[in-house]
Amino acid sequence: MTISVKLDRVLLDRGMSLTELSERVGVTIANLSILKTGKAKAIRFSTLEAICQELKCQPGDILFFDDEDAVADAAE
Amino acid sequence: MRAIGKGSLASILAVGLHITRIILWIAFIGLSIALVVVPLGSIISIGAGSEAIAGVDNYLEIAHQFVSFGVMLFVVTRLLEILKTLRFGTPFVKENADRFRTVGYALLIGEGAKIAFGFLSLLTDADIEIDTQVITWLAIVAVFVLAEVFREGARMKEEQDLTV
Repeated sequence: MTISVKLDRVLLDRGMSLTELSERVGVTIANLSILKTGKAKAIRFSTLEAICQELKCQPGDILFFDDEDAVADAAE
Repeated sequence: MRAIGKGSLASILAVGLHITRIILWIAFIGLSIALVVVPLGSIISIGAGSEAIAGVDNYLEIAHQFVSFGVMLFVVTRLLEILKTLRFGTPFVKENADRFRTVGYALLIGEGAKIAFGFLSLLTDADIEIDTQVITWLAIVAVFVLAEVFREGARMKEEQDLTV
């Protein structure tokens, strides 16, 4: 998957646990865990908004686009 | 009418299919025994020429029924498995798409065998008609279409489950 999630890094920076974030944003730990481990297929704007609000960050701090093709082309 | 639970169409269908499966199993076991016994009978009466030919006719008819009942048993078992997933609330899984596809293939084999036995009966005096109907082939196509719909449904369900 070319979109990677760096939620664990942001949580570490804020000193917040997944359980605490789950309680604050009203999303189950199971769902947040799916997001954190990169298994999620999609994220709702409402979820992203709630996470960004609680972690005081931008969507770009959590989601990254890994352009694997560009990296491979540069290597060649 | 409710989709699942007591009194639902699925539960009524499940009861009906369970009873059908028992009947089919009995018939299938009976035909399996006959498939072994009939050739033995022919060997015993090998001296009596016309009776041996009659044995071949019987054997063809029994083999035809054996394949038909085998296909029916296979289809009913797969349908019961599909209904079981419905009872557990997870009908849109890839396994059900595969089950529908195998049901389609089984029906295809059953219909093909029916025609093949019909042609084979021309060589003997066996009473098997070469008979196939357009509606049967349409039903087979419908099962394959349903399999693909289930495959897409399973993909959509997985996507929904993994949306946070």
